[in-house]
Amino acid sequence: MSTNTFHMPLGPVHVALEEPVYFNITCEGESVKSVELTSGHVHRGMEQLALRRNLVKNVTLTERVCSLCSNSHSFTYSMVVENALGLVIPDRARYLRVVAEEVKRIASHLFNMAIQAHLTGFATFFMQIMETREIMQDVKETVYGNRMNLASNCIGGVKFDLSQDKLAYLLKQLDVFEPQVEEIREIFATNGTILNRTRGLGILPPEDATALGVAGPVARGSGLPMDCRKNSPYAAYGDLDFDMITETGCCAHSRTMVRLNEIFESIKMLRQAVAQMPDGPVHAPMPGIPVAEAFAHSEAPRGEVAYYIRTDGTETPARLKWRVPSYMNWKALSVMMRGAQIADIALVVNSIDPCVSCTER
Amino acid sequence: MQDVITGDAGIIDALSALCGGDDAVCHKADQYGNASHWFRLTGTDKVVPAATVLKKAGARLIMISSYDKSGGLTGFEPELCYHFEVPGVIYSFTVALDATNPAVPSITPLFANADWHERELRELLSIKVEGHPNPNRLFLDETLDAGKLRSAVPLSVAMNGANSTDLWETILGAKEKQA
Repeated sequence: MSTNTFHMPLGPVHVALEEPVYFNITCEGESVKSVELTSGHVHRGMEQLALRRNLVKNVTLTERVCSLCSNSHSFTYSMVVENALGLVIPDRARYLRVVAEEVKRIASHLFNMAIQAHLTGFATFFMQIMETREIMQDVKETVYGNRMNLASNCIGGVKFDLSQDKLAYLLKQLDVFEPQVEEIREIFATNGTILNRTRGLGILPPEDATALGVAGPVARGSGLPMDCRKNSPYAAYGDLDFDMITETGCCAHSRTMVRLNEIFESIKMLRQAVAQMPDGPVHAPMPGIPVAEAFAHSEAPRGEVAYYIRTDGTETPARLKWRVPSYMNWKALSVMMRGAQIADIALVVNSIDPCVSCTER
Repeated sequence: MQDVITGDAGIIDALSALCGGDDAVCHKADQYGNASHWFRLTGTDKVVPAATVLKKAGARLIMISSYDKSGGLTGFEPELCYHFEVPGVIYSFTVALDATNPAVPSITPLFANADWHERELRELLSIKVEGHPNPNRLFLDETLDAGKLRSAVPLSVAMNGANSTDLWETILGAKEKQA
């Protein structure tokens, strides 16, 4: 080992990490040579907890796996139970599910953008993004009554309908929101400081992205056309006109631009969903529980969330297993960080928009 | 529900050849017409051949689910279910493991992202993964017994680490060990 080589611990509690994870970084001078990751600090045994609750109670439990993509969990969990039960959800519920999901996606993506601005030392921009994000937080609070967990999904559809007033409020807020995000996108696309810090940083070549099975904006930022909303449409996504955003830069900046451009696709989807939403019931009654196994996956803000269930005819699941996008994206850090400067580690980590609570359950 | 279930006949035939028993192959579609194909392999020796078929077809590993079919704390009937996707179509295969010596060959050499899944199988259901390149704990500490998913821990024991002198004794013990 050269005298210039040393090990540097980062975390588990660190100012640049939102959640606890421990990196043992081998450096040569200022450059990262390799990264070893230790996690498990927020392992809560949630899969075991799910086996102690009935199918209905697990909607509430799964919504608490994570905060930023909480809706994606109750959504996909409801889908996997519906697949096991052979339950078809009403048309209006399909659209209402899309509305909740895309509102959450926008707020999640903007949070990641804000943290990136913070990590580049751009404090005023951080505040500007968070202030814009507040419009979507207001939407959540006004429409759903909660700023984080929307409690919208239930097995067979959604728990409550949204009145025309609330949908009109959502559209009105989108009109206020869109030009502000346009301004944010412009800054990310052209600001010298941001480009210098993020362009070419944390390279993940497409072949590594494929081999590691990464998902979401991390995959799409490396040019992989992977999006469950397009590849296996669910809820009302098959009825909506939107584009799958990909970038070919394979770097932190590409992942940023994927997220920013996706916000505009989400706005498009929200407007279409409100315009096309049919009238009718919002949930279907649960039939009896058979002995079955089922699988479901959906596109959460960070990528594909997958659920697997086995039922044994009783009201509690015999097995409930889920896997989140960060589960694979973490491993991609070992490729992305190679050769990066120590000062850029936090930016590279942030570029996968990691979620530790989700990963460890 | 859709009348026609999509899928690749080549993959389905190749995986079906590795299956055995009644209802070993099953084809489904969800409300939106998304197809999923389910296979039950004859044994763990078919895991790598099945994964190879999917690898050659350009599939992506989504998840490996472990499952104790007995459902109890005393019995143990481990099974694994591997889920793959070839864009838009899900292929899942299940294999039953030997209850006395639950072991399965690693597919990490074929699918790099199987790494964490296989390490998690070890700690949650104490399943031995043969040929795994990095057989260390994933989330749970080395001091905890493997097979945590099947163990029942009384609340008072679980809480000991958090609110009793046990925590401090553990920390002081570790310190003394270091010194």
